[in-house]
Amino acid sequence: MSRPILLNSCARAATAAEARFRIDRPIAPSRGTRVVALDRGAEAVVRDVAGHPWATARFFTCPPAAVLGRRDGDLADVALLGTDGTRSRLSDELDGADAAVMVATSDDGAGAARAIGDACTMRAIMTAGLVLAGGHAAGATVSALRPHARVLLVTYDENDVSEILTALRA
Amino acid sequence: MLRRELNELLTQTGPGTPMGELFRQYWIPALLAEELPEDDCAPVRVKILSERLIAFRDSHGRYGLMDEFCAHRGASLWFGRNEEGGLRCSYHGWKYDVTGQCVEVPSEPENSTFCANVKLTSYPLVRIGDILWTHLGDPARRPEPPEYEFIHVSPEQVYTSKRWQESNWLQALEGGIDSSHVTWLHSGALKSDPLFKGARGNQYNVNDLKPFFEVAEADGGLFVGARRNAEDGNYYWRITPWIMPSFTLVPPRGDHPVHGHFWVPIDDENCWVYTWDYHPTRPLTGAERSAMMAGFGVHSENIPGTYRPVQNKDNDYLMDREAQRRGEHYSGVKGIAIQDASLQESMGPVVDRTKERLVPADSGIIKARQKLRKAALALRDAGTTPPGVDPAHHRVRSAAVVLPREESFLEACADAVRATAGVPHATI
Repeated sequence: MSRPILLNSCARAATAAEARFRIDRPIAPSRGTRVVALDRGAEAVVRDVAGHPWATARFFTCPPAAVLGRRDGDLADVALLGTDGTRSRLSDELDGADAAVMVATSDDGAGAARAIGDACTMRAIMTAGLVLAGGHAAGATVSALRPHARVLLVTYDENDVSEILTALRA
Repeated sequence: MLRRELNELLTQTGPGTPMGELFRQYWIPALLAEELPEDDCAPVRVKILSERLIAFRDSHGRYGLMDEFCAHRGASLWFGRNEEGGLRCSYHGWKYDVTGQCVEVPSEPENSTFCANVKLTSYPLVRIGDILWTHLGDPARRPEPPEYEFIHVSPEQVYTSKRWQESNWLQALEGGIDSSHVTWLHSGALKSDPLFKGARGNQYNVNDLKPFFEVAEADGGLFVGARRNAEDGNYYWRITPWIMPSFTLVPPRGDHPVHGHFWVPIDDENCWVYTWDYHPTRPLTGAERSAMMAGFGVHSENIPGTYRPVQNKDNDYLMDREAQRRGEHYSGVKGIAIQDASLQESMGPVVDRTKERLVPADSGIIKARQKLRKAALALRDAGTTPPGVDPAHHRVRSAAVVLPREESFLEACADAVRATAGVPHATI
């Protein structure tokens, strides 16, 4: 049985001095995070966050009647309005995405959440939901998002949207 | 990912640092009560929050925690004599009481008042449960003593241990908030560990390796819910409370005792991990207590006479590749505590969070960091008392339950996550 004889070939190498020898290369940003405000209350927050500098994240709101009908066997699509005013469809925006972050203040966007969740499941894209509770009962909003977000953060702090995206290198 | 200055803010806990001042708002564990077992026993060196202290128990059973070094020439009081109501420096005989007050300077004339003006910095040291607790902050802001349930059950219902971890406190704490690693790193324990195996809930873990997570605010910190699919379209929820600054409870399994941790910074590159098992409604069995003392569950087997684990970085944590191949231990390292420690220590004394690649499943960690940062800055800038100081925040429980899909885990478990003496915990 071989035993390590050099400091850097055993667990004792976990020192600050040995940390200098870790490979130090720039870390690529995530491939793409799509942030979608599901309701009117979330729009202002998402628009504000969109104004910060981001690597590759794109920000959208859902206009009225955003969920486009589904045909038999197809998934519903969602009409999206970029915070820069451009119009697009969820199915196009998910190309190249690795995470979809849904932001909600109410359950008004339940239909869009379901369509986004289904589309992401089909494409193996991670989903996250941020419920901005803002002092009101968030139970209905949480219930609306729960089936469609693999991770759900219920918070009183709007800054969490930007915190999460920063942590994800979005 | 954290910017370098934020990583430093969260990981540095010495005097005068924002996070150090935050820690100094709380009662925190300083020692196990077993370390000062009797009156006039040997004093113990204690280093916490980057302060070197000496703890002793005087002839009258009073506990003292004060500056380790004699005010005279700076010699360590660890070499002192603990006798006749005080700790006497072995060098020139200066003697101190449990408040750090110098009560005798032999070289001074009889009836000299010199020693009245000599007082070492000292902190309160009180026994609650198996732990000696201290508060290193401003006495004017000293909160009421802690009310965590595990320190208020009868001695027969609890077992507490501690171990030295060679890493910054934050990366250790983050392991306690991060439920997703349990599915992988600790998977072997569900089948074999005497303090885990046999619970019905374990099957849900085994059958659903991709849990969903929900993170919700609590008065004292966070509740992190991990849900997995259960039968009849229900969800199996495991609910972990985190109370600021560094207290967590592991969700229970069957009728096994409940595990918990409190991480205390020694300095910025080391921490103490206080670990306990308690059962809210019954004494621990002899078999359970023996298993804990042998290092099963979340405890560690320590080198006799020390709180350093037998498996440590000097011996590669006794890595066993054959056990890894057999699936006995997923990482090849035996024991849940050391499985965690080995990986957290491998990250380096203070992990460089500017280089990490977090994913949405790490939302609990992201939110915890944000709450710590906000609390530290609010304390520094406005003197705001942080969450978790109020003893009412301590009265929480972890829970493991099966709920209908539409139920909110926090609303459905409002009673289950509140510690109520004598009431069984919610577990499967």
